[in-house]
Amino acid sequence: MVRKRKKAATAEFHTVKRIDNSRLVRNVEPAKMRNLWRGVALGGVVAAFLMLYVFQHFRCIDLSFQLEDLKAQQMKAMALNSELKLEIAGLRNPMRIDVIARRRLGLTEPLPTHVQEYEAPDGAEVAAARYVRANRAQ
Amino acid sequence: MRQDRVHVRLLIIASVGFLWMSAVLGRLTYLQLFRHGDYLARALRQQQRSFEITPERGPIYDRNGRPLAMSVPVDSAFGVPSEIADESLAARLLSGVVGVPQEVLEARFESSRSFAWISRKLPPEKAEAISKLNLKGIYLQKENQRFYPKRDLAAHVLGFVDLDEKGLMGIEREFDSQIRGKSERIVVMADARQRWFDGGEAQRERGASVVLTLDEKIQYTAERELAAAIAKTRAAAGTVIVMNPNTGEILALANWPKFNPNKASDAPAETWMNRAVSAIYEPGSTFKLITIAAAFDQGITRPDEVFDCENGAVYISGHRIRDHKPFGLLPVSDILAKSSNIGAIKIGLRLGAPRFYDYIRAFGFGTPTGVELPYESRGRVEVLNDWKPFSVGAISMGQEIGVTPVQLITAVSAIANGGLLYKPRVVAELRRGEKVLPASGLLAPAEPKRVIRPETAATLRQLMEGVVLRGTGPLARLDGWTSAGKTGSAQKMDPNTKRYSPTDLIASFTGFAPINNPAVTILVSLDSPVGLHEGGEVAAPVFKRIAEQVLTYLNVPRDVPLNPKLIQTAYMKRASQDDTALQDFSAIDFSGQPDPAPAASQSTGPVAGETAKSKKRALTVAVDEGGDIELPDFSGKTMREVTEIALRLGLDPVLVGSNLATEQSPAAGAKVRRGARITVQFGTPLEKKSKQRLGIRN
Repeated sequence: MVRKRKKAATAEFHTVKRIDNSRLVRNVEPAKMRNLWRGVALGGVVAAFLMLYVFQHFRCIDLSFQLEDLKAQQMKAMALNSELKLEIAGLRNPMRIDVIARRRLGLTEPLPTHVQEYEAPDGAEVAAARYVRANRAQ
Repeated sequence: MRQDRVHVRLLIIASVGFLWMSAVLGRLTYLQLFRHGDYLARALRQQQRSFEITPERGPIYDRNGRPLAMSVPVDSAFGVPSEIADESLAARLLSGVVGVPQEVLEARFESSRSFAWISRKLPPEKAEAISKLNLKGIYLQKENQRFYPKRDLAAHVLGFVDLDEKGLMGIEREFDSQIRGKSERIVVMADARQRWFDGGEAQRERGASVVLTLDEKIQYTAERELAAAIAKTRAAAGTVIVMNPNTGEILALANWPKFNPNKASDAPAETWMNRAVSAIYEPGSTFKLITIAAAFDQGITRPDEVFDCENGAVYISGHRIRDHKPFGLLPVSDILAKSSNIGAIKIGLRLGAPRFYDYIRAFGFGTPTGVELPYESRGRVEVLNDWKPFSVGAISMGQEIGVTPVQLITAVSAIANGGLLYKPRVVAELRRGEKVLPASGLLAPAEPKRVIRPETAATLRQLMEGVVLRGTGPLARLDGWTSAGKTGSAQKMDPNTKRYSPTDLIASFTGFAPINNPAVTILVSLDSPVGLHEGGEVAAPVFKRIAEQVLTYLNVPRDVPLNPKLIQTAYMKRASQDDTALQDFSAIDFSGQPDPAPAASQSTGPVAGETAKSKKRALTVAVDEGGDIELPDFSGKTMREVTEIALRLGLDPVLVGSNLATEQSPAAGAKVRRGARITVQFGTPLEKKSKQRLGIRN
């Protein structure tokens, strides 16, 4: 077994060199500072514009989606409106009304004497409208 | 040494970086400069969707704004085959929904890589089913589909459209370019999930809406009565036209056989024919009106002039002419009332071919009337040089001449309104939104043309009343209004024998009411009725039924008192025959019209299971004994006197003309309600005397 020979210790010295910079005066150059701040401001503006552009772009796409959704809803509402109008027109088919009147209700044509014209008193329309509404509410 | 190695390593890294950057830059340069177009197109194909937006076809309304035809957006399914992963699977799934065979769908997908229709104009439930399949490359697109909510009502006037919304018949065809609007293509962007954004705003020009002169209710009345008449007479075809003689507006135009324009392709093509404007027929006795009108207007005869009708038979130019029954001496008024062929021929011969021809053309025969409907026939009128020796005689009684129903009713309307021939109109106006489009082309206003003098027309009106009162058309006599008209029973030409058929006739009646201030002119024509076949027997009752309903609906004041006894008798008869009352309506085909739901009927109608027949009808009827004011005779009175009397009686006088009262409507003695409007015509006593001499009643 080989024994390691112990190395001789090296003396280390810690020295402190005191540097006094208090006498140094840093000269501030206003032109450079102006340029610096101008650069920062410009960069900020460019960055802001860039951010704004990106925001607008994505906002635009987002709004386009919303717009398309609304258009689709509008189309659906219009289609429903058309369908309801069609249904109303179908329900008002004179033939349909005639069939119901004759077959279900057992009505027949009025004779000439059944048709009487009377001058409607004032407010007759309003009364009729109220009557209809009251019946609808039931 | 150590520093050199570091430098080499840095150089290698820099070189690799440079090469990598060069490669990227090179690739970018290649893509941006050389492949730019290709990739741009590819990107657009992926991101963009282009759609043709078909504008909504303009609706068609009746004169009161009730919709008769309208378009509703429905879904159509299409595929982009290049986006479909498994065409066979997609075709199989879709086939089960839309009912198109799988092979057909696969063939469609293979025929185009960019677009293939799967099924167009789907019902909502099928569209929803396709949407739920959620297949890649399968899309739904909105298309407009034409609907006719009143089914077969006014089908021949409205016409119909094909799958691409192109008008094929009727108004749909005649005004196709205006109703259709202009289509536009829009482009939308789609994201990776095929959500749409950035869609362009299509500036679609909506089609113009058409407002017809037809009145839905009058149209229905005409169609119902025509259907009932066809069922009763077993006629092969028929036509009814109701016209306002004072404007030429057609209020109803009905044909039989009819069809449902919602399913026009299911109906035989013959049913599409608008017989009112396209069918030519020999008018028969109704044309005697034109003969006598021309004769009166030329002053070659008078209503009281007597002609020898040769006891029912005469030879003219080698042809034996017979009357339907023997007549001896007849005044002109009775020649028209009793419809004597021989009398009409003698009047025609006296008139002479050139003058007669001029009047025939002046009344509009031989030229299209210009009504806004397609396929209008000009009729058949031989040019004067081609007339044979017997032509004057034949045409005088309505043979050797072909007319269309609309031509005939236009001519009769001219007699009704005092001699002005109006162009018949079926379109009132075109609208875009609330804006009325300027009338041009077919809709350009046309001034009426005077064809006979007012005195001639007045004389003829009185003579036509004689047809109803004591002639061949007593069944056209109305309850409550005066009426006038002319019956016609024209033999049809047998195409096999080239001779007039003894059995096939066209029975017709053309008339108007009331006489003094006609509100409607009505033509009824039945082709080949079986059994009873005279115009006065089968067409005149149809005129009566339609006229009474229409005049009531139009609120036209009655000008003769009602006959309560007659009405009560009619009512009792009707009430005792419930079956008959219901059968009145059974002629109409209701196969396409579902009965109302039982639940609805239970809540509003009779108790479930109880039919109209079994329900005892209430017999409480308020019978109107007429009005409460008997109209005095205003003739010979001044305007001041007439005004004073009318106001004292509580009437609303309308004074026409000047000098002394000569005519009035309603007639003296008629009972009217307080506040009723009466029309009094003023003129010189000389005119009155001459009218009295001509036998015109006031």
